[in-house]
This record gives sequence, C-alpha cells and structure tokens, in this order.
Amino acid sequence: MKVGEIVKNVVQEVVDTLPESDRFIVDNKTILFGNGSEIDSMTLVSVIVDLEEILADQYDKEMCLTDDRAMTREISPFDTIQTLVDYIEELSKQI
Amino acid sequence: MNYRDKIVLVTGASRGIGKELVKYFLANEATVLGLSKSDFSCDGKYFHYSCDISKGSNIHSTFRKIVKDHGRIDIVINNAAVLTSQYAMIMPIQNAEDMVNTNLLGTFFVSREAVKIMRKFKHGRIINIGSMAASLEPMGDSIYAATKAGVRTLANVMSREFSKLNITCNTLGVTAIETDMLNQLPREKIDEIIEALPVPRYANIDDITNVIDFFASDKSSYITSQTVYLGGIN
Repeated sequence: MKVGEIVKNVVQEVVDTLPESDRFIVDNKTILFGNGSEIDSMTLVSVIVDLEEILADQYDKEMCLTDDRAMTREISPFDTIQTLVDYIEELSKQI
Repeated sequence: MNYRDKIVLVTGASRGIGKELVKYFLANEATVLGLSKSDFSCDGKYFHYSCDISKGSNIHSTFRKIVKDHGRIDIVINNAAVLTSQYAMIMPIQNAEDMVNTNLLGTFFVSREAVKIMRKFKHGRIINIGSMAASLEPMGDSIYAATKAGVRTLANVMSREFSKLNITCNTLGVTAIETDMLNQLPREKIDEIIEALPVPRYANIDDITNVIDFFASDKSSYITSQTVYLGGIN
C-alpha cells in the first residue's frame, strides 16, 4: 500500500472513533496540528503511534516520526496529511 | 479477587515482591506475563519474557513480541527496581545510573508500551510499586527515594494523558517487606524506621495485594493519579 493511502486510512480510522459530531472525511489537506487542526493533540498521538506500528511492519525497521529531525523543521511534518506523507516518504528513502 | 480472563504483566517477576505477585495472580486464575533480566519459570498460565528493564529499546522489542503472542494486556504492575543505599558522596556512579534507568525510566517505557496496546481496548490499569522512601526520605537513599517519587509523578502525569482511554494509573507505596532487597540494607536502620510508623510492623504480601486488587478492579474506575502508602505513611 502507498504511504499516502496508509496515512489517510490511519487518520480516518482514528477520526471514526471520535464522537459522531467530531467526525469528518480525511483528505490530503486535512490539518493535523496547529491553527485549524480538526483533531486534538491526544488524537494526533494515537495517529502517530498507529503509523509507527504499521510502518515498522511495512519496512521491517522502526521509524520514529517525532525525533529531532521532525520537530526542528521549519514546516512541521504534522501540518497536514500531505506534509506527513512527504516526510514519511523522505524517511523511507533513508532506510 | 478473581483474575480469570485477565492478562497481568509484572516486571521484576523473578524475585522479591514481583515473584510473590506472580504466584498471587496465578493462584487467582490470571494469565501472567513476567518480565525480568534473569530466566524464571512458573507452573500455570505463566509466560516469561527475558527483558532488561533498564534499556528502553529492549522493552520496546519485548512488547512487540508480547503483542504478537497475546494481543492484549489488562493490568501492568511496574515492580522492577534496584536499590543501593549509600551516602551521596560515596555512591558509585554505575549504581546511581542503574537505579534511574531501571526504577524510573524502566517504569516509563513499560507503561507507555503497555498503553499502546491497552488503548485499542479502551481499558487498562497501570499500578506502580512505589516506596516509603519517597515519603520518609531516609539518609543514604537520595537516588532510590528520588526514583520512587518520580514513579509516583509518572503515574500522576500519565493518568491525565490516558484518562480518556479509560486507563487508570496509581501508585502503591510499600513499606519494608521481607525480600532479598531488604537484605541489602542494615537491619537495625530498617527496624528503627518501621518502629516509627503509625502501624509499626513489616508489610506482608496480603497488605500489598489488597491494595492492588482495588486498583485493578472495576470498582476503582474513578480512582486515578492516587498514591496509597502502607503502614500509615502520608
């Protein structure tokens, strides 16, 4: 499965566990963090944990999405679905 | 309390309080997952995982195996701890580091790996074994007492992070109990501390399991971020 689909699926699955009034359809522009974010910080944590587990299986190697490389970037990988997909693809090339 | 259909994970399972807790949970029909550096086996539904609790990466890989083997954890008892009682100025560096890595960081890493599994079931109980040292602050125990105070703080902060997941985090502050850890300390010093307690006697395993039963049960679903000390300590 492509990284874009994995990320969207994981976020959608987590969003679908929220109360009905908070649910929405996830797309590449969905904001994950900061102003305009549609999910709270603990929901984002759940997304990250799920992604790290799936990516570890996919690449057969642990991938930390929240280390210094991610947290010190000018544009956060967690801004939107698309920035997160781009970041994971970049990391996957370093494996 | 009956633990049928519950999966209980105990760290420091091969000796002392951990070993007694393993026997207690097995006697009450739990499936028990024991973690410790040394090998250990037990009759019944006991599954041992050799794991160095002082190393975060070792804990992470052990939990990867646990989730594949069992898929679920209901209750975690963070019991693993090491103790060197020594005046601060002559405490060996390695012993000080071992206490921080095992008692404090080990508890942190085990808790968070367990919660990654528990969150999928929206239920869990994290129970940290604290110590009277965190409250009484005896000379010679600067690092040990600090790690046990830290264990209590870990539970309190984590309880906030995990409450929406229906996971509670509480601490049991134990007094001295007859274990091999106690033999590392001068008995006269411990006797003196015990005699000064409101309930001046050594703890026994029932004192510990009585509190654990409550923290582990559904009756404590509204109880989190709490520390219960034995023997009348505040």
